[in-house]
Amino acid sequence: MADAIHVRGVTKTFGPKVAVRDLDLTVPEGGLYGFIGPNGAGKTTTIRMVMSILFPDRGELSVLGHKSALEAKDRIGYLPEERGVHRKMKVGSFLAYVARLKGQKGSGLRHKVHAWLERVGLAEVENKRCEELSKGMQQKIQFVSAVLHEPELLILDEPFSGLDPVNMRLLRDLVLEQHRRGATIIFSTHVMVQAEQICRQIVMINDGEKVLDDSLAEIRTRFDPRTILFEPMSREADASPLERIGGVERVSRADGAYEIGLADGCDPSAAMREIVAAIPTARIELHRPTLEDVFIRIVQGSQDASARDVERLRASLRSDAPAEARP
Amino acid sequence: MNKVFHVALREFVATVATKGFIIGIVITPVIILIAIVGMRTLLNEKAPRIEGEVAVVDPTGEVFADVHDYLRPEAIAERRGELKELAEEQIPEAAKPFAASTGQGEAARMALDAVLGEVPKLEVVRLDDTADVEAAKQPLLSGDGTSGGRLALLVIHDDAVVKPADREELGSYDLFIREKLDDRIKDEITGGVREAIVEARLRLAGLDPGEIQALTRVDRVRSRTVTAEGEKETNEILNALMPMAFMLLLFVSVLSGGQGLMTTTIEDKSSRVVEVLLSAVSPMQLMTGKIIGQMAVGLVILGAYAGMGVGALAAFAVVGMLDYSLIVYLIIFYFIAFFVVASLMAAIGAAVNEMREAQTFMTPVMLTLIVPWVLWMPISRDPNSTFAVVTSFLPPINSFVMLLRMSSTTPPPLWQVWLSILVGVASAYAAVWFAAKVFRIGILMFGKPPDFRTLVRWVRMA
Repeated sequence: MADAIHVRGVTKTFGPKVAVRDLDLTVPEGGLYGFIGPNGAGKTTTIRMVMSILFPDRGELSVLGHKSALEAKDRIGYLPEERGVHRKMKVGSFLAYVARLKGQKGSGLRHKVHAWLERVGLAEVENKRCEELSKGMQQKIQFVSAVLHEPELLILDEPFSGLDPVNMRLLRDLVLEQHRRGATIIFSTHVMVQAEQICRQIVMINDGEKVLDDSLAEIRTRFDPRTILFEPMSREADASPLERIGGVERVSRADGAYEIGLADGCDPSAAMREIVAAIPTARIELHRPTLEDVFIRIVQGSQDASARDVERLRASLRSDAPAEARP
Repeated sequence: MNKVFHVALREFVATVATKGFIIGIVITPVIILIAIVGMRTLLNEKAPRIEGEVAVVDPTGEVFADVHDYLRPEAIAERRGELKELAEEQIPEAAKPFAASTGQGEAARMALDAVLGEVPKLEVVRLDDTADVEAAKQPLLSGDGTSGGRLALLVIHDDAVVKPADREELGSYDLFIREKLDDRIKDEITGGVREAIVEARLRLAGLDPGEIQALTRVDRVRSRTVTAEGEKETNEILNALMPMAFMLLLFVSVLSGGQGLMTTTIEDKSSRVVEVLLSAVSPMQLMTGKIIGQMAVGLVILGAYAGMGVGALAAFAVVGMLDYSLIVYLIIFYFIAFFVVASLMAAIGAAVNEMREAQTFMTPVMLTLIVPWVLWMPISRDPNSTFAVVTSFLPPINSFVMLLRMSSTTPPPLWQVWLSILVGVASAYAAVWFAAKVFRIGILMFGKPPDFRTLVRWVRMA
């Protein structure tokens, strides 16, 4: 299959700061890619370069077979991180205007706008001015403006930030529906859980560099489980036998349960059998690594991160706080 | 191209289809109308009537009678009537029925009445030839000069009418007046004395004053301008106002379009809609579309006011004065001036985050645009001076100055016009080039607004 996006050795600096360093990225047609990383990692800069809004200092990229996204703009849908609408324009007119800029025309356009507004539950605001809408409503309007022209490639920069759970689910379903329609989708997020729920393929970026590019399934096998969660029947049970079990590296206690870390190469099923034999067990499970764990392990492996740094990183990967404005 | 059109269309509609714009375009003529009506009301405030005494010491005995006649209220009123007729002659012949029907003729008369003040009631008394001049001056110090009392003391020299054998020249007179005497009263008195003395001299020399007057009188005529379409009366007032009107039109339309462009650019940027737009159009297309949209807005303003102007000329039946080719040049210079100013405004709008920050950059642009206004008087007085010629080739003010020169009574040679247009097109190109570079980078830059050095770096970067 042809590549929807092809990036080779792209570097972008803003003054002294290197925003993206020597990035390679390939997204095949029909792919559903999650672009993850903490705030300031270089996600938005990369996306803006793909959109030809910014231009790389070095390296080359192609989008839908063109050297620049400018030549394929009408086939791309883009939801920027910074939401914006023409505040004084009516919602329906604004959507029709953006669609016209994307090369849509004809009498069916207004009808299409109306149909989409109905789908996102905003049919009644068609004749309201954009400035009268709430932030969440404006975000849905923006999403509609990105997909109205049925793009082949859909790039969503932090599409879920600021949405309540109901609308988050609605938007997720709409994104998946676009994927089923055949669109290639890339979306960026700093909230790893969202990526886990939607994506087939994950690209992780940290400090402007790509640190991971794999399918979700592959990631789960590669970063195989190394932690056992164990809860004894009695809170007073003696936990000392745990440390004598072969392959156990560390044991930490939390809320009457234990987290047991295993050494590389040790078979978790054997360790679990030994634990159950040693202490009466209420609950035992193999903890599957989340993307968050994976990300933190990668970052930890690449640099000497202190415990506090890790905690801060963890917090930033969970929080749904709006990302800071960046150039 | 289609995208540029859609951007331009939105820009135009978003600017024109607002209450503010419609009110703005209607309200300006209304303000002008109010100003005219208000001025009329103010002018109707009449000056208070002056009453008082003019004392004359006339040792020659030849002058007093004529001065007395000259300062009779009826005589003053008659002379003022003549003056009024002279003023009315200034209104074009063809416009008179119109002026009369709308009451403007009436207005003009009333205004004139007010300026002249109500005819003063002066009592001219003759003092004894041997009267003490110092004592006669005393009454000038008392009273307020409006209700009786002595207003002036006129002392005719005894050699004013007949030259004594031992003198080379004839004598004159002295005039003493009270403080704050109305200038017009003083003028009446000096005019009267002058006439009376001259008549007395002529009479005593055995000449007929009537004949002398007839011989020395040459009517002041109004010039007639000869054109290919025929002769027409030269209208000096309109000739002086025409360049002003053209420059005003250019200024207002260019500035409102430019200002609008800056405002909407800042709006697009601060509402962050710009990134959505840039995912559909290139920065150059966006800027071009916006410039074209606002250019159309400026043209609407230009058309509306130019239409009103031509309408007014037609109403006064002096539309023949207007050289229609000037309107064509007005539009050409509008395009040039607009592109120069609007590009700079777009660049400013893209570089800053909010209106407040734009002020720093606006100041040099506004100062430049004020230069033609400062130059208006010297240039319209001498439209072909070296200074005027040089400034009409100097961007960015060349459009304004050239239009000023072209609408004057001595238009520049055609080659100068086209050279100025050429310079203008080149400067417009340069301005758009500069703006495109600043726009492309600035439109996505948030945070601290750039200083001039940063702007230059952007231009080099892009």
